[in-house]
Amino acid sequence: MIPVLIGVTFLVFFIISLTPGDPAVMILGNGATEEAISELREEMGFNEPVIIQYGNYMKDLLTGDMGTSYSTGKSVGSEIGQRFPNTFKLTLSAIVLSVMISIPIGVVSATRQYSLFDNIGMIIALIGISMPSFWVGLILIIIFALNLRWLPSGGMDGLKSLILPAFTLAIASTASITRTTRSSMLEVIRQDYIDTAKAKGVSRGVVIRKHALKNALIPAITVIGLEFGVLLGGAVLTETVFSWPGIGRLMVESIQRKDTPMVLGCIIVFAVAFSLVNLLIDILYSFIDPRIKASYN
Amino acid sequence: MSTKVEINSADKLLKTKKRSQSADVWKRLKRSKTAVLGIILIAMFLGMAIFAPLIVDYEEDALKQNVRERLQEPSVEHIFGTDEFGRDIFARVVYGTRISLFVGLISVSIALSIGGFLGAIAGYYGGKIDNVIMRLLDVILAIPTILLAITIVAALGASMLNLMVAVGISNIPGFARIVRASVMSVKDQEFIEAAKAIGAKDHTIIIKHVLPNAMAPIIVYATLKVATAIMATASLSFIGLGVQPPTPEWGSMLAGGRTYIRDQMYIVLYPGLAIVLTVLSLNLVGDGLRDALDPKLK
Amino acid sequence: MSEHVLKISDLVVQYHTEEGIVEAVNGIDIVLDKGRTLGLVGETGAGKTTTARAIMKLIQSPPGKIIRGSIDLNGTDMINASEKDLEKIRGAQVSMIFQDPMTALNPVITVGDQIAEAILIHQKVSQSKANEKAKEMLELVGIPGNRVNEYPHQFSGGMKQRVVIAIALSCSPHLLIADEPTTALDVTIQAQVLELMKQLKVKFEMAMILITHDLGVVAEVCDEVAIMYAGRLVEYGSLEEIFRTTKHPYTEGLFNSIPNIDNRKAELIPIKGLMSDPYNLPPGCSFCDRCNYVMEICKENQPAKTYFSDTHFVECHLYSDNVNFKLKG
Repeated sequence: MIPVLIGVTFLVFFIISLTPGDPAVMILGNGATEEAISELREEMGFNEPVIIQYGNYMKDLLTGDMGTSYSTGKSVGSEIGQRFPNTFKLTLSAIVLSVMISIPIGVVSATRQYSLFDNIGMIIALIGISMPSFWVGLILIIIFALNLRWLPSGGMDGLKSLILPAFTLAIASTASITRTTRSSMLEVIRQDYIDTAKAKGVSRGVVIRKHALKNALIPAITVIGLEFGVLLGGAVLTETVFSWPGIGRLMVESIQRKDTPMVLGCIIVFAVAFSLVNLLIDILYSFIDPRIKASYN
Repeated sequence: MSTKVEINSADKLLKTKKRSQSADVWKRLKRSKTAVLGIILIAMFLGMAIFAPLIVDYEEDALKQNVRERLQEPSVEHIFGTDEFGRDIFARVVYGTRISLFVGLISVSIALSIGGFLGAIAGYYGGKIDNVIMRLLDVILAIPTILLAITIVAALGASMLNLMVAVGISNIPGFARIVRASVMSVKDQEFIEAAKAIGAKDHTIIIKHVLPNAMAPIIVYATLKVATAIMATASLSFIGLGVQPPTPEWGSMLAGGRTYIRDQMYIVLYPGLAIVLTVLSLNLVGDGLRDALDPKLK
Repeated sequence: MSEHVLKISDLVVQYHTEEGIVEAVNGIDIVLDKGRTLGLVGETGAGKTTTARAIMKLIQSPPGKIIRGSIDLNGTDMINASEKDLEKIRGAQVSMIFQDPMTALNPVITVGDQIAEAILIHQKVSQSKANEKAKEMLELVGIPGNRVNEYPHQFSGGMKQRVVIAIALSCSPHLLIADEPTTALDVTIQAQVLELMKQLKVKFEMAMILITHDLGVVAEVCDEVAIMYAGRLVEYGSLEEIFRTTKHPYTEGLFNSIPNIDNRKAELIPIKGLMSDPYNLPPGCSFCDRCNYVMEICKENQPAKTYFSDTHFVECHLYSDNVNFKLKG
């Protein structure tokens, strides 16, 4: 994981370094003198080749210093530190909501394949993955905030304000995980060992819960990890729509303000969070599948 | 020489097998009502994109700002209403189809050609080459797709071209993986060994034998990815990092209409529906293709 | 008078698919007594597995359908029994071993648990007693008892099949159905597993239906033989009767397809053609396109049963007028 993350930091740093424009000017503003600008350039190392700048950045990063914002002058690290828990709260709520809804529906759909429940469920799921989160957010705001006035239309102010953004984020991942759970279950149900269980006299409910589900969850868990990545991306859009004070919205604002260190910091935090989740999923995997556990011994 | 005759007749057998296979696939595809619906919808959108000038006038309806007509409700004259600049929303939605489909197709083409090339090489040669390529791609995969696209556009500047490049690049690892998996599953089959045994060159084998048989999952994947590319385009344009106004793009139309949702919700309703229907139709077709190409998975 | 363990009458099973109706089983009768082993022989697609699954009422439906007939297992009407009753019977009164040992075991549950599960369902014992019994069963099939907490992937193919047998026999069923239990195994392992099954059959006094396409296996293990073709039993008799006084041209063809080690120069005589399309069975005898003795009547009429003894019958027009007709051999 570590080499990949280092690669990520380099990749992102490199991409961002392609941004046109003079960073010294961005910091000091247009009114600055030629002298001040070139002085700042020397001081901040903007004249060095990209590799060296990267090296300096990484050195600082290891001590937790992500640089200072071009626009506010404050520490990038502290700003991100403040906002990150908000994004975490939002995405965690969304993924928990997703998993709670999608796995039961996926299982029932698979065991009642071709039934009305299954057909309607799958159509809804398909529509679910086809709706852009920002549009869903806007529609939900129109219905629940502006017309019914049950919930706030934005900001982070107590549990009520979490509901709409969490639901918005959750819709696409719920749809996706439901579909995966269903197809995974369908494949498992066709396996010979399910026949063996039935031939032993195991009741239908136990066959589904004990024999099928555990096997079906294995690939489903991978998808949950990937969905988390999609959720992180989605958080950027949802936070914008709901004015949620998280790092997604911070990133968008920083891009508009051309605040490069902040953008860089946000992306790195996103990438690290994503990698950590995938690592957790891998560990979970090895607990559930004894074949993987064995290969670690 | 007798070997040549054998190869030719084996070749013919392969070709007839492929032809009857495609006929089978088409037959199965037609059976799925949802897939057929998807095909009809996407054909409709394609039609809208291609014949846009015949339906509405670009300059007059989609671009010209007409302050007196702003924010009008849907009516016979403007079936989707008008936006904050007095432009006809229907016209803008129709022209938006061109942008979405164009960007979607081009970015997937970029991803398919570069990713496919890398994946084919990694899958065919295996070993160190495979390792190096996959590790490099792992780095790209560690960043969620949309965020990567946002970063690239943020760095290069917001424009339609950069948007296509960004979405294309962020999809490269996905295509590399699927092509690699496909190639790996085909290359170990016996007819490849046979081709090698008669001395066929590597690139011939890959292009003539491996790829045609590996096509099926790749086609399904590509279809579904055009859907996500269209979604990504709208998303990026929504936050101002994509197609720039006044070019009509569904996502940026939603961004522009955001302030007016209280009283003029139609501004966000119709462009949004356009996104949903286009993406949905591609998902329906992709799903249908997947089921038609491998019926036992149903 | 020995009791019947299994009595099947006029069983007809079909699969209703999108591509048409598959006539898998077309009216078969089987009577099996306690302790006897019946070999159900036929090529792939003859309907043997469908028959086996029908007995366990494990046919996937849709698309499978039992159109008519009766299956009596130890007094229970299997076709009309409730799912709850069937769950009590499966694994306890009748057990089934499926074809491929590699995929027959659940990869995420230990072999011990998989054996104990059967015991816990059908017998009122504690978990620890069940675990003990599971260990005993493993020893019985020749696997060290201390491997009881291992997972299926840690066993070879032959050992997996032994585990499957252990599971099937854990509750001492009256009838064991073995669907090609040794086909997927190496020849040497085949012999071991068959030997094991023979011993256990005697020990548990079980009746057994052994599905196979291998006449050698039949000769080793079976008391009675039923030859199945296109969903019908074309010949049925004791082992002696079938092997020494073969009556049906198909059975003769099966024997002729086996290489003769005493006469290396003798030609292998394969049965020409392929089995008829199950979506479209001919009105007459299904074997007529491939039969060396075919007559006009064969193409139009389904032959009736001709009995040569209490236990030996054949469905073939050759014998309807002349019971003493002799095949060329």
